[in-house]
Amino acid sequence: MAIFLKQIATPDVPMEADNITPARFAGQTPAGVEKLAVMHGSEPRRIGDFFSVSGQFDGTINVEGDHLGRVKLIGAGMSRGVIQVDGDVGEHLGAAMSGGEIRVNGNATDWVGPEMSGGRIEIHGNAGHMVGSAYRGAAMGMTGGEIIIHGNARNEAGNAMRNGVIAIGGNSGDFTGVNMLSGSIFVLGELGIRTGAGMKRGSIVSMKEATLLPTFSYSCTYRPGYMTLYLLHLSQIFAVAEEYLEGSYKRYCGDSVELNRGEVLLYAG
Amino acid sequence: MSENIKVVENATCTFCGCVCDDMILTVDLDEKRITKSKNACILGKAWFAEHYIEEDAPAAMIDNKPVSIEEAVEEAARTLVNARFPITYGLSDTTCEAQRQAVAITDSIKGNIDTTTSVCHGPSGIALQGVGESTMTLGEVKNRADLVIYWGGNPAESHPRHFGRYAVTAKGMFTPRGKKDRHVVVVDVRRTPSAPAANQFIQVKPGKDFEVLWALRALVKNRAIDPDIEAITGVSLETLQELVDRMKNCRYGVLFFGMGLTMTRGRHFNSGALLALATDLNEYTHFVAKPVRGHGNVTGADNVMSWQTGYPFGVNFSRGFPRFNPGEFTTVDLLAKQDVDAALIIATDPASNFPQAAIDHLAKIPVICLDTKTSHTSQLAHVAFRTSTYGINTEGTVYRMDDVPITLRKAFDSPFPTDEEILTAVKKRVRELVLAKGRARGATGESKAAAPVQAI
Repeated sequence: MAIFLKQIATPDVPMEADNITPARFAGQTPAGVEKLAVMHGSEPRRIGDFFSVSGQFDGTINVEGDHLGRVKLIGAGMSRGVIQVDGDVGEHLGAAMSGGEIRVNGNATDWVGPEMSGGRIEIHGNAGHMVGSAYRGAAMGMTGGEIIIHGNARNEAGNAMRNGVIAIGGNSGDFTGVNMLSGSIFVLGELGIRTGAGMKRGSIVSMKEATLLPTFSYSCTYRPGYMTLYLLHLSQIFAVAEEYLEGSYKRYCGDSVELNRGEVLLYAG
Repeated sequence: MSENIKVVENATCTFCGCVCDDMILTVDLDEKRITKSKNACILGKAWFAEHYIEEDAPAAMIDNKPVSIEEAVEEAARTLVNARFPITYGLSDTTCEAQRQAVAITDSIKGNIDTTTSVCHGPSGIALQGVGESTMTLGEVKNRADLVIYWGGNPAESHPRHFGRYAVTAKGMFTPRGKKDRHVVVVDVRRTPSAPAANQFIQVKPGKDFEVLWALRALVKNRAIDPDIEAITGVSLETLQELVDRMKNCRYGVLFFGMGLTMTRGRHFNSGALLALATDLNEYTHFVAKPVRGHGNVTGADNVMSWQTGYPFGVNFSRGFPRFNPGEFTTVDLLAKQDVDAALIIATDPASNFPQAAIDHLAKIPVICLDTKTSHTSQLAHVAFRTSTYGINTEGTVYRMDDVPITLRKAFDSPFPTDEEILTAVKKRVRELVLAKGRARGATGESKAAAPVQAI
């Protein structure tokens, strides 16, 4: 049986709840979980001030509430277990996580899985800016794991990502895969502008036409072998049209101001 | 005009980031006005001529009712200490000494501090952190620069003395003939009044600065670019190649950039592209880049914040140590998301220039405002202080846009206290209250001392 956190109070300033992780809940009774600390602005509070806690921890945490938008850092640094969130969740979800799984039935805002190194995040709604990105001033974004966004993501998805997969069912914003070092980004909808600016290696795939930077050059149209494998995997998560699995892709190389060993693949039919 | 006249030599104009320190001010001490400001540009003349003191105005008000300064300081300190997520904002039009006190207050109340940098060259701050900066002082530009490029700015109207004093017509050690020894390029989306001062004007399609800068970077590195570059950006490949050759072959090149880069789509990546271009060019020659800053001491705000907290703007102390995250801890974002429960606004007027959602939230929370004049923010403030004007009534230190500190000279006295005096008094009281609060919390237990939360 999972442990349930049901929201009973609304934070009126940002709340930092980096204690909501399976590792911190392990071995705790509901009363013990209620005593774990959260920061409500600059004020130290308890989880029990904002959530009623029930159930028994078996590796899964269920968080439910209509006012979770100010609750930041859920699952930050987690390495195992499952967090299931029902509601729209706040910033820094799964920041620097190394394992386990976070599922959100709702929308997420900025910084989903920044600098994560492993594990899986699945957002059934939309996500904000900086999905799987590096924090400002850091050289590397996510270095492993998988982020699935069923809806749209905004700017800088995969900023400086070093490895792992980001799959976006809808559209992505500007600078998708900016400064990317390696890894894969799939966007079933449309890419924003300036995709892959400064990318060194890695792959960015989109099923729609896109305007690329003048430093990207067309190389060929072909059927990458791995595409079918990836898309078959993604088709188990969200709807992927049959023709994408067997279609050809236009390959553009870039970014020529950097190594020019990255690729942008656009579905060609 | 009275006969009680004073002349202040080598005074400093703090209107814009040029911080020209060669003003000769004639002051009528009876009228308490500056009657003449020799050497000032049109903006500086207006800055000095329009400065007057409303002696009848109260120095402090609570809810728009006059009170003593002591009462206002007490109320301001209590408001800040009782807040869970207070912000400090502004700081670009006051002295470094006052800025320092503001950082200390924010540290004590575990608040969030941000400056007007976040709505002007904040993206450049992010870019500097990501890309690095090849920097200089304006004195070097005057003495050495033989290629000067202005990108996304209009100094002829925003910084009128930038051309004459530092970068275009200024005569220096290795540029004895002034403009004849320099090639000046203006890059912008429209032909501004700065364009005639340049040898070359390059017009970029709106919103395509990043593409042009990126193409220039590729050309500097001898990499191929899309031959359709003219259709994309409005600038031909020949023009870009010619500019690249000029940049590679100059002795000392400078890229000045303005908010045409930082506040258009792409923001920090636009600034970052330009800074990276300057870095790339250092393979071939000496090349530097510098943002052309607006307010008189916005550069000082960045400097003070950096040496006190480690970060230039958008810094949060909620957990007792500084954290930097633009987008999360920057003022417009925090106000628009209604995350803030008190605000200390210093020497700026966000209620007149922020997005409506941010202003609406500002009107709902207790605001403490320090300003030299009545402003939209001071009118909606819970506690409002009227302070003296820096550079005219207040001495202190400001930083020029090239990070050179300059000492201010006072022209005449003001009956109002300085920002530094008010902030020092607030800091002292805040520290007493924080200590008392800590003792109360220790005596009663944390949860009981904490205020109730809002139940659903």
